[in-house]
Amino acid sequence: MSSTRQDPLVRMAHVVGDFGNPFYAEERQRDVWNEASAFGLQLVIWCTLGVGTTTIWVVGAAAVPYVTVVLVLLGVVCALTVAYAQHLGVDLTGRDRVLRWRLVPYAALVVALTVGLVRAQEERLTASTLAGMVTGAAVVLLAAYVVTRRRGKRAGPP
Amino acid sequence: MGRTSAQGRSNAVRTARQLAGLTQAELAAAVGVSRQTVVAVEAGDYAPSVYLALSLAARLATTVEALFDPESTVLEATPRGTR
Repeated sequence: MSSTRQDPLVRMAHVVGDFGNPFYAEERQRDVWNEASAFGLQLVIWCTLGVGTTTIWVVGAAAVPYVTVVLVLLGVVCALTVAYAQHLGVDLTGRDRVLRWRLVPYAALVVALTVGLVRAQEERLTASTLAGMVTGAAVVLLAAYVVTRRRGKRAGPP
Repeated sequence: MGRTSAQGRSNAVRTARQLAGLTQAELAAAVGVSRQTVVAVEAGDYAPSVYLALSLAARLATTVEALFDPESTVLEATPRGTR
């Protein structure tokens, strides 16, 4: 993997993640910490979505800018995490990984958050903005479905 | 069960270690891991890397197959004290 070592994203991850720390030399420590980090990331996602949704529904329009900033930050962190794995050849879009029952509460939370954001913005929301949001969401969902389906076919029986 | 788990597969590391007259701490120090790692390997809670498996086998004067192949009978067939 010498070529990936030169990749700016991989280099950045090595610095930010402190991969050179002697702690990682002990293989079980490293593996357990990997699992703990995955647990931590999922917990951050759950907590952010939960707190964001609650805040939007309780506080309303005043909370929209703050919740949006936090959500964008979470999105960037998650995108970088996925990008790192993809750069090192680990595909995270496989159907077996994505299409699981644990996705349902996630989706419910995202829907509640989205509805809360729309509701909080109701006064400022025009019909064209709403139509754009719905179209955008539909395009993203369709693209995700197509990519997942294509990868699923590619990873089919040999 | 996490990804580091050996899914409860049994192995002969404890038997080989006892035959070699080593404590878990001594074996851990010899192969460069923590005692907890040796404990986890012996309990079948952790599947070691191929490099650690080779180090364990070398230090215990046996083979990886003898330690981790559930069908291996090398350690049972070897009389006590011949290692």
